[in-house]
Amino acid sequence: MSDTAQKDVLLNVENLTVRFAVKKGGLFGQPKYLYAVDDISFEIKRGETLAIVGESGSGKTTAALAVARLVNAYKGRVDLDGTDFLTLEDEDLRQARAKMQFIFQDPYSSLNPRVRAEKIVREPLDNLDAVPEAERQGIVDKLFEAVGLHPEQQRLFPHQFSGGQRQRIGIARALSTQPELIICDEPVSALDVAVQAQILNLLRKLQADFGLTYLFISHDLGVVQHMCDSIAVMYMGKVVEYADRLSLFNNPLHPYTVALLSAVPSVDKKRRADTKRILIPGDPPDPLALPEGCRFANRCPVAQDRCKTQQPSLKTVATGHKVACHLVDETAVSPLR
Amino acid sequence: MTAPLLKVENLRIELTTRDGVAPVIDDLSFELGAGESISFVGESGCGKSMTALGIMGLLPDKIGRIASGSIAFEGEELSTASEKRLREIRGNDISMIFQEPMTSLNPVYTVGEQIAEVLRAHQGLSKSAAWASAVELLDAVRIPNAQRRVSDYPFQMSGGQRQRVMIAIALACEPKILIADEPTTALDVTVQAQIFDLLNDLKRQTGTAIIMITHDMGAVAEMAQRMIVMYAGRNAEQGPVDQIIDRPRHPYTKGLISCVPHIMATLTDERHELTEVAGIVPSLREFGKNQCLFASRCAMVTQECLDNRPPEIEFEAGQKSACWHAGTV
Repeated sequence: MSDTAQKDVLLNVENLTVRFAVKKGGLFGQPKYLYAVDDISFEIKRGETLAIVGESGSGKTTAALAVARLVNAYKGRVDLDGTDFLTLEDEDLRQARAKMQFIFQDPYSSLNPRVRAEKIVREPLDNLDAVPEAERQGIVDKLFEAVGLHPEQQRLFPHQFSGGQRQRIGIARALSTQPELIICDEPVSALDVAVQAQILNLLRKLQADFGLTYLFISHDLGVVQHMCDSIAVMYMGKVVEYADRLSLFNNPLHPYTVALLSAVPSVDKKRRADTKRILIPGDPPDPLALPEGCRFANRCPVAQDRCKTQQPSLKTVATGHKVACHLVDETAVSPLR
Repeated sequence: MTAPLLKVENLRIELTTRDGVAPVIDDLSFELGAGESISFVGESGCGKSMTALGIMGLLPDKIGRIASGSIAFEGEELSTASEKRLREIRGNDISMIFQEPMTSLNPVYTVGEQIAEVLRAHQGLSKSAAWASAVELLDAVRIPNAQRRVSDYPFQMSGGQRQRVMIAIALACEPKILIADEPTTALDVTVQAQIFDLLNDLKRQTGTAIIMITHDMGAVAEMAQRMIVMYAGRNAEQGPVDQIIDRPRHPYTKGLISCVPHIMATLTDERHELTEVAGIVPSLREFGKNQCLFASRCAMVTQECLDNRPPEIEFEAGQKSACWHAGTV
């Protein structure tokens, strides 16, 4: 931990909020807002990986899209290397985008089917115009090699590649502008298990080789455990727990995190014997009519009265471990123990 | 030992493709006892779902057919049974739940009507009796307020609830075998855990045997007693789940287990490089060759693997592996 404390912070996100207008009521009805991401903050140190985990509808992908300005944030700051990315305009924004690239979930729909692989990888270079034209082909060659594709495959179209190879093209495209931060939105969930390992190993190798920083969005806790240095757990648009890898997996504190971890099926016989599965019945609340208290209270097995009326804030309970739960104090013991 | 509930012997299913006839299932044999649960594991394109469709008699018309071998359900041959007889068996004795709970329910009928339809068709219940049973079934799959939710349309339910409705439909006639084709792939982990619990409880109460198709070794470990690892239409390995996870005898099984980052009991600082299974599943054109089809991705490959299809080698407790080097894996 002493080593990482010295590293500087590359991405600092503060009070990020994203809301969508939802039509409700008649012609003159007030628009209602759905807060997909509600006041979240996190930071990523250079060369590290932060994972945002959560189930569908938790807001993890929206948060990632907002960081990259692929959806508009309603409030908040996204400091990338000291400048607020959200306030940049025009040319400054275009240049800043080079520092932050995106790898998408679906390698089928995220590549243009009519464009050859080399052009897909080269396009960001052409758009940014930062590199002289003569050097661009050389960069594409290097990128193809770095992601494990053959040079002769540059002339092929996306449909001629398998899912794993397509994801490699997506990664090469993200790398082409020499970004500092890569946002990976469920990069392996559309792939077969054996191919997942290839891509995860590649991502880790590239991180070591190029000193990349990842914001990693995933619902798969096994993958997250393997890839990340710290983890933010989201539920209904809020970060409910935020900790480094070992603290989160060895001492999960928020009842939701505990339930989530206990639900993951395991091949480890010891883990299956040790973990008591905590079932959380029911469904998450309606995002348009959020409860005034803790958003997890209606499904929480240990909820008390104050949980239903008072919203818990994200507070530090141990070094590098934050949790938003009324029932966790400085002793850092989960209420489910 | 009594006769098995389902006995599949030397099953071969062929698909007609543009490049000719390809055996998508090639010489598959297995048995399923009453109340037992087994799992088919493998990547996509390995023939897991084809096996299920073959058992159900739902192979795509004119494209797929059972070329040889037998599927015997309680001694009755299914591969040659008439369409009429198959229709009686499907839903009554063997039923199936599918991966995508949204597309497998009819969006224009209420869930109650869809559950009642099965009961009326198979058991000849009256409309009102079938409806009453539908409410009971919804309650049994733990949908809260079943009395009211029975009149809901599929779009009014969440993904997990829709899958529960699918389970209710599949279990309406108390089948002897339930085939679950990737039942939780589209669902969140907490919902997956609930569905697994539900399936296990129902199995205990009704004694239904479960065939689960999945690619997740963790799910296999939680749900099944025996597993069958499929690769390129062939049986790579089969046997008791715990035993195979402890000591896989086929390099493909070993790869499938170690390529996934599992959450272990205690997490430590070290992170191993994940074991890669290089390459991808061969295309249908390669299926049926007289060699080990895994050879191109295998780290232990020798000349023998390329020359001849490996025989099944038996180990203790019925563990079988189709690998020339099974003894040294």
